[in-house]
Amino acid sequence: MNVPFVGQVPSDIVVSWIASALIGLFVLWWLTKYNKWPVIWEYIRTTHHRKIGTMYILVAIIFFIRGGMDALFIRTQLAVPENDFWVFQSQKYNEVFTTHGTVMIFFVAMPLLIGLMNVAVPLQIGANDLAFPYLNAVSFWLFVAGGFIFNMAFFFNAAPNAGWTAYAPLSTDTFTTGPNNNYYIFGLQVSGLGTILTAINMIVTIFRLRAPGMKLNHMPLFPWATLLTSFLILIAFPVLTIALLLLTFDRYYGTSFFIGEMGDPVYWQHLFWIFGHPEVYILILPAFGIFSDIISTFSRKKVYGYTSMVIAIAIIGLLGFMVWAHHMFTVGLGPLANSVFAITTMLIAVPTGIKIFNWLFTMRNGVVRIRTPMLFALGFIPTFVIGGVTGVMLAVAAADYQYHDSYFVVAHFHYTMIGGTILGAFAGIYYWYPKMTGKVLDEKLGRWHFWLFLIGFHLTFMPQHFAGLNGMPRRVYTYSWEDGIFLLNFISTVGAFLMGASMLFVAWNLYKTHRLTDPVGGDPWDGRTLEWSVGSPSPEHPFEPVNQVDRLDAFWHAKVKGEEVPKAEDARPSPIAVKTLQPVILSIILVFMSIGFIYHWISLQVLGGAAVIAYLIIRSITDERKEVYEKEEEG
Amino acid sequence: MRIFSLLSLFLLTGCNLRVLNPKSDTADKITNLIYLSFGLMMLVFVVVMILFVHFLKKYKETPERLNEIPGDGKESKRLEVTWTVLPILLLAVLAVPTVKATYDMTSQVSGDGGEAKAEDAITIDVVGRQYNWEFTYENGKKSVNELVLPVNQKADFKLTSEDVIHSFWVPKLSGKIDVLPGEETRLSFTPREAGVYQGKCAEFCGAEHTQMRFETKVVSQAEFQQWLKNGVEEEGE
Repeated sequence: MNVPFVGQVPSDIVVSWIASALIGLFVLWWLTKYNKWPVIWEYIRTTHHRKIGTMYILVAIIFFIRGGMDALFIRTQLAVPENDFWVFQSQKYNEVFTTHGTVMIFFVAMPLLIGLMNVAVPLQIGANDLAFPYLNAVSFWLFVAGGFIFNMAFFFNAAPNAGWTAYAPLSTDTFTTGPNNNYYIFGLQVSGLGTILTAINMIVTIFRLRAPGMKLNHMPLFPWATLLTSFLILIAFPVLTIALLLLTFDRYYGTSFFIGEMGDPVYWQHLFWIFGHPEVYILILPAFGIFSDIISTFSRKKVYGYTSMVIAIAIIGLLGFMVWAHHMFTVGLGPLANSVFAITTMLIAVPTGIKIFNWLFTMRNGVVRIRTPMLFALGFIPTFVIGGVTGVMLAVAAADYQYHDSYFVVAHFHYTMIGGTILGAFAGIYYWYPKMTGKVLDEKLGRWHFWLFLIGFHLTFMPQHFAGLNGMPRRVYTYSWEDGIFLLNFISTVGAFLMGASMLFVAWNLYKTHRLTDPVGGDPWDGRTLEWSVGSPSPEHPFEPVNQVDRLDAFWHAKVKGEEVPKAEDARPSPIAVKTLQPVILSIILVFMSIGFIYHWISLQVLGGAAVIAYLIIRSITDERKEVYEKEEEG
Repeated sequence: MRIFSLLSLFLLTGCNLRVLNPKSDTADKITNLIYLSFGLMMLVFVVVMILFVHFLKKYKETPERLNEIPGDGKESKRLEVTWTVLPILLLAVLAVPTVKATYDMTSQVSGDGGEAKAEDAITIDVVGRQYNWEFTYENGKKSVNELVLPVNQKADFKLTSEDVIHSFWVPKLSGKIDVLPGEETRLSFTPREAGVYQGKCAEFCGAEHTQMRFETKVVSQAEFQQWLKNGVEEEGE
């Protein structure tokens, strides 16, 4: 391939301009032909949790395609030694892996989980919506704006290039000039704000809107995981915000927090990992919750050791804040710090182990029905255990001097993030798909997806452990024959394409399911928790009147007795839904304001800032509840 | 899956993975720790897999059990205590040598500078920059991307960076130590076999991070002295 540049622009960007224009035109034509505009108009103004949850997942899937394509470019470039694939060498390669990491963490894994929380958590606790529906729409549109800003970079030939960790001083303007890493900063700032607001929303919903009688320890484990995760978000994300703000000052206004006489690049690492390590638990705990619910449902048994499951989540969350320096063993923090962080890291294996054994013992004496969601849960157990044990190996500080920043680490975190979070998200999507759309995804194609994905996954990442042990550092765009890692990398590339192929079965499945199958009832899986007591897709205001709950798995026990879940006497006001364009408008303003910052256009910054303040004032003096409450009082 | 992972292990034990084939005292210690932790962790993995496969086989839904409602059964405190306490014990077995090795090695890796210099050690100043390594020996000899060390003699490194963060790594001889701007980190090891070893920058440092490699030649004492003299003479000329 000898056309890496068209004029000043690398040819991959030109190709994606053309491709995006064509796809855009096709989508416009399709929307018009099938008269879908009213649906779009409905969804962009909605504040309903199920619709917002579904949109979270849809947008995450779009970013997943982007991040996945980046992964395939990476694997193609690394397929053979001294390769020269298309444009993906040097800085272009750095841009690709930076984008891949950032997109997958912030714009795929996070929104997939938050989307599932939106869909399932209110229904599971018997609430009619999230506590703050308007705020929920704001969160969603902030996430879209953040993702939009971050992805825009590539189309303007300015993709961030300092790694998803953006280590200083490389990420400061001394070493990476140009707008590239400004995109990183503002993309994450805007979407991070949305995430923090979601956390607040979830916490208030779970504390205030549980069905009457449902104590905290009557909740299924997914709401529990959501609750504790939300606290982690509330503590960890502001640290990222601060770190990015300091970096902004270093890049824009000549401060030197991370560089120079007074500053220290290691400060960035501390701040980033004080956010970054809890972040990986933010990504894994909701997946644990999903697996707990699924394994219990498909074993037709209460989850084993419910109390210890909850305590384990809490301990993992707590320990998650005490391990950040295990990302920094080679910085030279000294033997005391390294030993302490090694031990706290190892300790996390204990509550995680408790969870693994509780899942196994949930299946014991049960009736294990293997349907697609359960298949993903079963695939998760061995995969995640491998990721967990390599985690303990990495915790051995002295040994980490060898593993650190090598492909061993790459293999490890893909085993936890894909083996945990992504398998969890897939399991959750298959499981709650009827609650989102009213249909069950095709079983046979689901199995194809599972097996191809899982086999592809292990083919991709198992060899990377050995490539790392053979001395392959992370983030290199090529290697030599003498390195002796050709075969390992080649297998890895084959596996990656297998994973890519498995996603085609998802597309086929969606098409087939919607074309050829009939809607299902409210309870297609013989479920245990309240979301299965309402229709599919879940109606707006599903619990009217709300349920009276006095135990775990209330729906299941009512079903076994042949009864309905009892209704509560005292009705409670539900959150008020509105139709509003304001959140979309806010996110558009923030996109423009961010562009103002990214390209140093001060007038656009000022204009955007003024618009945001105006928006906040307008929002502060509107109260959509007033009208509804007045009507209620009259009634 | 298990079969696959075992298979890949068998396939690879024949290969000489650099990290598992150490040629210095420090790297030896690390490799032993890797084997210890791997052994302990395989134990965990095997136990989980046995339970997993056993439960799955035994409790899978069969046509006869289609409508069975199994009941929640009793939970056993004893079991829960077992899988809490046993992992803690296992981790303790791993934690003791971990802390010991971390202390042993870190004092070599990043000493505070106050410790007495070993009598026979050579000191080498390392400067990392985008995208090469410069080594300066005690007699003023400089060399770029080529590190020459005498066999069986301790080498002390003092490392610093001129620009961004790099990380010094010779997989067969030692673990990594980060190379930071404005700071000095330390590393030391004693190579015990002559040979040529790959050295790499392990911390992503910019566009050509991939190319920031160096060669480590471990040679006999005589050859080393010869090489050391040559350089200085050249510089003098």
